[in-house]
Amino acid sequence: MDDSTDGVRVRALDTIDIGAVTRIDERIGGRYRPEVWERRIGYYLRRDPEAALVAEIDGEVAGFMLGEVRAGEFGLEEPTGWIEVLGVDPDHQGKAVGRRLAEAMLEHFRARGARTVRTLVDETMGDVAGFFERLGFEPATLKPYVKSLA
Amino acid sequence: MSTREALLPARYHNAVERWRETFIPDFDYLLEQWPQHFPKDPQFKLCAYRECQVCPHIECGQDKGKPKHVRAATMAPEQAHHLFGAIRAQASTEFGSIQQHRLTLARATSEEEQVWVLRMMAEELRHGYQMLHLLVEDDWSAVAEDSADDLVEGILAMQTGSHILGAFNIDFDSFLDNVVFCALIDRVGKYQLTMQKISAYKPMAESMPQMLREEAFHLATGVVPLRRLMVSAAKDEIYVTTTDVQQTINKWLPRGLEMFGDERGGGTNVRYGLKPKKNAEAQSEYVAEVQKLIDDLNMRFIRARLPKLKLAEAEALRRRVIEEGETVQGIAPEDLVRMPHPEFFRRRGVPAFQMVGFAGERFQRFRDYAHHLRQHLPSAYLAGRDFRDYLESLRQVVHGQISAVEASRRMPTLRRVAGSCPCSRAVRWVRDEPLEPSQPQAGEPSQPQTADAVT
Ligand SMILES: CC(C)(COP(=O)(O)OP(=O)(O)OC[C@H]1O[C@@H](n2cnc3c(N)ncnc32)[C@H](O)[C@@H]1OP(=O)(O)O)[C@@H](O)C(=O)NCCC(=O)NCCS
Ligand SMILES: [Fe+2]
Ligand SMILES: [Fe+2]
Repeated sequence: MDDSTDGVRVRALDTIDIGAVTRIDERIGGRYRPEVWERRIGYYLRRDPEAALVAEIDGEVAGFMLGEVRAGEFGLEEPTGWIEVLGVDPDHQGKAVGRRLAEAMLEHFRARGARTVRTLVDETMGDVAGFFERLGFEPATLKPYVKSLA
Repeated sequence: MSTREALLPARYHNAVERWRETFIPDFDYLLEQWPQHFPKDPQFKLCAYRECQVCPHIECGQDKGKPKHVRAATMAPEQAHHLFGAIRAQASTEFGSIQQHRLTLARATSEEEQVWVLRMMAEELRHGYQMLHLLVEDDWSAVAEDSADDLVEGILAMQTGSHILGAFNIDFDSFLDNVVFCALIDRVGKYQLTMQKISAYKPMAESMPQMLREEAFHLATGVVPLRRLMVSAAKDEIYVTTTDVQQTINKWLPRGLEMFGDERGGGTNVRYGLKPKKNAEAQSEYVAEVQKLIDDLNMRFIRARLPKLKLAEAEALRRRVIEEGETVQGIAPEDLVRMPHPEFFRRRGVPAFQMVGFAGERFQRFRDYAHHLRQHLPSAYLAGRDFRDYLESLRQVVHGQISAVEASRRMPTLRRVAGSCPCSRAVRWVRDEPLEPSQPQAGEPSQPQTADAVT
């Protein structure tokens, strides 16, 4: 997709990256979840393959980001870009991998006609919010509520 | 980024719909299943999609920087001839793959996988439609002898055995063929489409983006079930073994490599701005991707077999088994899959008929090589016509009766499907009568296996 001077190359995610994504997720969260990624990646590739991205350093997948443009959710009628999942290999965090992925994703969202990009951050995962704030994201008025049905 | 839709003139549109009724008989079932399996995805539509904003300037070759051609008439005759051949071949592959997938679709191991393949078949139909649209929208009379009617008819009349490229003339024998084909052959498709995104012929460049989006899912239709099959194999669920997967890879990969064209060629495409890469360059990138896929499948196997291993331990085990050939914790080299040598079982390009073995070893005697192939290919394939024709050509090359170049030209030996059957001339896809929705036309055989192959 594009090469840059920082050695990070962002390209479209391919099914052969399922293993790499599973690996990064496992390295971040400590759980091996291949079925989850097979299903999810199948879903994103079907819906909007250009919003499924990986970043490579020296030809190895160092991070990934999955998203989608949707309209009509939460009363948001205009097409909105959603960043839904991201992960950067712990060995490669802090090397602008996340930033480069986000830039490519936002460019795609713009091309698809979205004027806004949104994401939901789990505050118990701490570090992700800081990252989005550095990229210019602001807290939204839309506040998530949850109730257990168990 | 936006696309516009375009339809073929009614007589051709109806011809494709008629063809669809024969070769995708489960199409209505797909539409029924769609909301359950693909909720919120836009409904399938048979049309051509053209991307609205593609680069207006030629992106490589001798005319780099000049405006792209919007009509074939402004292209150099050789350039137009080349492109015309590529579009026709591309159309043949799209329709051809449907005819192959159909054979074993019913044997899918799960409903989900079946519906995925069915959706992919519908999208291949759309891809074929898109290529026909390029052929009938423009005037190709300077390079094509046939009228638009005959061009469309000729493509729709092709059958497994009379298609242009080898990979589309080989029958499927099991559902493993469906998924390995998607994983390996559609991946070549992805390469071709990506390269043609820069085509100096603007209608071609505009046709690629939506096809590529769909192609991403086609690859998943192969790779995801293949990963699951490796888990079944690891758990000793008997219906599939790693050997089956390996042999099916061996059946298809050589044909995939040949779809890039001769390793020495591709310069004309680059010079004319039709593709940015020569054949060998694209082919070697493809090989690297397939290697990644194979590593990935092996990791899936190892971790399913030995779930207690940590990530790093599993990676170390894979290296020992694959690179050192050791058996570690009960996993032997033959339990995993490997990339066949790129010169293995080739019939076109530089290594054609050179008797190179699975691991790159060379054979001198015909009998030894035939025996080697027998050990590495699926038994159902060995019994078929494609393999028999290949062996016969190889025998003649080895015995000096024909050259490898002559033998290559002969492969695939095209099966003329017309002739002996009295009804063979009755089936014509392009007709003047309007289409009756879902009703077979009176007197029309429901399975016209004997349509006239116009090649
Ligand atoms: C958060 C994460 C995506 C950041 O990726 P990264 O490649 O390390 O970030 P970058 O190097 O591109 O940093 C981009 C900017 O964000 C900032 N940033 C990154 N992580 C940050 C943090 N934890 N807090 C504050 N700022 C942060 C960087 O300083 C940088 O700012 P600058 O460019 O202005 O100097 C990555 O650390 C990660 O994957 N964490 C785990 C995420 C997770 O739990 N995923 C599970 C599934 S959702
Ligand atoms: Fe296709
Ligand atoms: Fe495809």
